[in-house]
Amino acid sequence: MRPVFAFLLLALLCFASTRSENDFEEDSNDDFAEFDDEFDGSFYTEQPASKSAEASAGGGVGTSHEESREKGPQEPRKAAVESDEEEDGLVEDDDEFEHFQDEEEFEGYDGGDAKDPPIDQKAEPKLNIPNIPLHFRTHWDSYWMEMLMVAGLLAYFANFFAGKTKNARLAQLWFSTHRALLDENFALVGDDGKAENENPGLIKESESLYTLWCSGRTCCEGMLVELKMIKRQDLVSLVAGLMRPQLDQAHIKIELTRGVMDAFVFAVGSKKTITKVFKEYTDLSKFCSLVGKPEDRYNVPNGFGVLSEVPEATSAILESRVITALNKYQSYIDYLHISDQFSGPIQQEESSSTLKQPETKAVLLAGFNLPKHAEMETIKPLLLLIFYLMERLKTYRMSKEGKAKSDKNRARVEEEFLKSTHAARAEAAAQRREDKRKQEKERILADEDPEKQRRWELKEQKRQAKKNAPKMKRLAVKSL
Amino acid sequence: MSITVDPRRKEKINRYKAPKNQGQNGGANEDMMPDYMNILGMIFSMCGLMMKLKWCAWFALYCSCISFASSRASDDAKQVLSSFMLSVSAVVMSYLQNPAAMTPPWAS
Repeated sequence: MRPVFAFLLLALLCFASTRSENDFEEDSNDDFAEFDDEFDGSFYTEQPASKSAEASAGGGVGTSHEESREKGPQEPRKAAVESDEEEDGLVEDDDEFEHFQDEEEFEGYDGGDAKDPPIDQKAEPKLNIPNIPLHFRTHWDSYWMEMLMVAGLLAYFANFFAGKTKNARLAQLWFSTHRALLDENFALVGDDGKAENENPGLIKESESLYTLWCSGRTCCEGMLVELKMIKRQDLVSLVAGLMRPQLDQAHIKIELTRGVMDAFVFAVGSKKTITKVFKEYTDLSKFCSLVGKPEDRYNVPNGFGVLSEVPEATSAILESRVITALNKYQSYIDYLHISDQFSGPIQQEESSSTLKQPETKAVLLAGFNLPKHAEMETIKPLLLLIFYLMERLKTYRMSKEGKAKSDKNRARVEEEFLKSTHAARAEAAAQRREDKRKQEKERILADEDPEKQRRWELKEQKRQAKKNAPKMKRLAVKSL
Repeated sequence: MSITVDPRRKEKINRYKAPKNQGQNGGANEDMMPDYMNILGMIFSMCGLMMKLKWCAWFALYCSCISFASSRASDDAKQVLSSFMLSVSAVVMSYLQNPAAMTPPWAS
């Protein structure tokens, strides 16, 4: 008996387990069927016609499930109708919802829709996928241009900080190398122009331009050193520099005390720079002429040009020591410019200020290229050359002929200037006269004495007549 | 070239006077880069804002960066800042209006 009971129990358990497995399978099938429906539904929203076709096929698991669901709400309704019939004892042939089928009731309504499954069949939640704009679906990859731009900006700023630091380091290196020499020559080294010299040393004008002001020395009023670095902070300039290589430069401008040097203008430097400054600066273009074959004449190194006004002054400046220095530091010297008539670059625009001759200063200008590998000690003697030239200018005196020539040149330039501005000056004088007359007229009109006004008008008429008279006379003579 | 006598003169000290026009040597050597870039940046910003051209707005940003990098210490910082703000707003506005990725001018 006992084994039989155990067998029965086992069989019952097996049956129960297989039943539960089947249920699970059905459930899981149903679950997937739901997903299928949802998926299909979403698909149907775009293509409603295909749904009916699929539904009619009815092969899928989902469809059977749908049918079983559809039956659900209909059956109680039928039962309710039957119970009503029983209660009232009336048999209604007409369906209660018949009017829905009436085509006249829904004029203009698409008849084809009536064939669609009833509304309650669509009780399933529909997924309406609106037309999403294209850009929301795009991947980050499509923003490659933006990424490139941002990367470019990051690279620019990284280069900005690196370049700025390098320029500052180079400028500081130049200053520290020349500091001792400058201290020996100037009572004031480094000035920011403020009441209290807060920052004695280099002044940063921009990330690539540093200036240093020194003053308190014989022969000169002051010396301005401008360290013009390559624009390392600007990536665009660096790229441009690849096409046209540039160098770090030191521009020295010494304002000489008036009367220290004799009157002459002179410049020496690399041919390229000399041609450029010859066109650019007023004093050089007006007083100087380009010396032909300067290598033979003054022994300057090859590739150097000389602008000279008085030949004897030029040969006095380009004496053996200077020539030696020029030869030795040829690659570092850009130009040397000595002038007692320096007035800056040629002014392009014709303004009223051109009626007066521009103010001139005696200056010693120099441009040096800084060494590429920051070996500032190499160019230290160039500053010594500048001090030497200053002393030389102080002691050198031209001969009488030279002086006469330079005076003649200055007189010629002044005359040219007066000639060129003659028309403008005549116009200015006429304008002044006209203004004066207007003022007088206003004064007379403001006066309440009519007798005075009448007299002034008469006087004015006479003046006008007199002004026109000679012309008339001449015309009359011609006609005769 | 050595100088034996002390050339220093305390009584001859002249204080530094900042040149009236930037660049002691006058207009020719003056660096006009920041000004040009400022104007160019402004034009690009306007194009970016009004014509909804994204690449214009980006270029404006670059221009203001260059203008900032090469600006002088004595320059008005407000000008650089306003140029930056204008170009950044041009970029932001163009992406707010149309967040689509930029198409290069040669592709459109």
